[in-house]
Amino acid sequence: MPHDSHDHDHTDPPSDLTLRVKALETVLTRKGYVAPEAIDAVIDTFENKVGPRNGAKVVAKAWSDPDFKQRLLDDASAACAELGFAGQQGEQLKAVENTEDVHNMVVCTLCSCYPWPVLGLPPSWYKSHAYRSRSVIEPRAVLEEFGVSIPEEKEVRVWDSTAELRYLVLPTRPDGTDGLSEDALADLVSRDSMIGTGVASAG
Amino acid sequence: MTNSVHDMGGMHGFGSIPLEDNEPLFHAAWEARVLGMMMTSMGLFGVTLDNVRSRMEHIPPTTYLKVGYYDKWLITLEELAVEKNLLSKDELAALAEGKEVPLPKTMEPIPTEGIIGFMATGATSARRIETKAQFQVGDTVRAKNLNVDGHTRLPRYVRGHVGTIIADCGGQVYPEVSARLEGDGPERLYTIQFTARELWGAEANAKDTVCIDLWEPYLESAS
Repeated sequence: MPHDSHDHDHTDPPSDLTLRVKALETVLTRKGYVAPEAIDAVIDTFENKVGPRNGAKVVAKAWSDPDFKQRLLDDASAACAELGFAGQQGEQLKAVENTEDVHNMVVCTLCSCYPWPVLGLPPSWYKSHAYRSRSVIEPRAVLEEFGVSIPEEKEVRVWDSTAELRYLVLPTRPDGTDGLSEDALADLVSRDSMIGTGVASAG
Repeated sequence: MTNSVHDMGGMHGFGSIPLEDNEPLFHAAWEARVLGMMMTSMGLFGVTLDNVRSRMEHIPPTTYLKVGYYDKWLITLEELAVEKNLLSKDELAALAEGKEVPLPKTMEPIPTEGIIGFMATGATSARRIETKAQFQVGDTVRAKNLNVDGHTRLPRYVRGHVGTIIADCGGQVYPEVSARLEGDGPERLYTIQFTARELWGAEANAKDTVCIDLWEPYLESAS
């Protein structure tokens, strides 16, 4: 089987995969099993409707509104639905809050479970064998590769998404952000800070 | 195939985290089509998420480690489409070679609104169960040493280890049953917190913990 220099771990040349996918889609759509525009609409959902911008709005609101934050920690799916973020892979969301004593970080060691409505599709590294294998046994070494150092005396708490609960890290609000609007705060919330491999930063 | 390579927690040798600046949502157009086909055809195939996961876990370990993420989805879709008699391997092979194949329309697809509506509402795995909880928050429990030759969500790295229940998550679809397409078989789910030292030994940081969601049949009392 030929190997090429494609930038991730495929062994087949992309053209073979493209042909296989096209063949499958042709059969499924021409026979009437699947509507091609439904496939387009699914892709559009992930490209334009769900993504980490949604999660950032949730975090910014939690930072700004203590009542909302409490609702988020009590029932994250209901709280996110208040902002219009709900759906598949977000039916049972759980928000875990970073504190002075605890840094949270999320992984799915068995596959790549991820909270779609608030974060969209996972980045490649989240799905990588390296992240899936190492996050539970050496989370601090993994965090260092993201440029995150957690003091020895602070707990790193790793959440392995083995069931249908989907975890969202509520990062710590950066210092010096008093008075910022929710929109301005949302700009400080990175995707990685909501997975726990980053921290929210005032810049 | 419980004990296969998809159960990666704690393995060594996969190297550094492959970070990519300004990563695109898809690395090739075909990946998006595969995602779209999976989301639009699971209902058609009559399979559950656990069944799909189980199929991916049954990809031979050498292949599993070699191919990319969406390749595994494609392998699973091809397998399902053939198994459910939606198409033949011959049709797929002929099309992939660029040949013309007659493909008469056999049904009307699920309307796009139905697919997108389902994505927007989702379908919870929470289930009401009447049985009394066997464990309470604060209880010390041991993850059983189960080596089931089928789908499970009990990773090897917690088996035999002792942790503390930190949440009772109520009844949930049980993956072992759901993967076999034998209904929901709901069981109570708990979140268990293990210390890093319990899982990985004395060298691990004394403060660190791993929290993991485990179903009641995976657990036994260790109080």
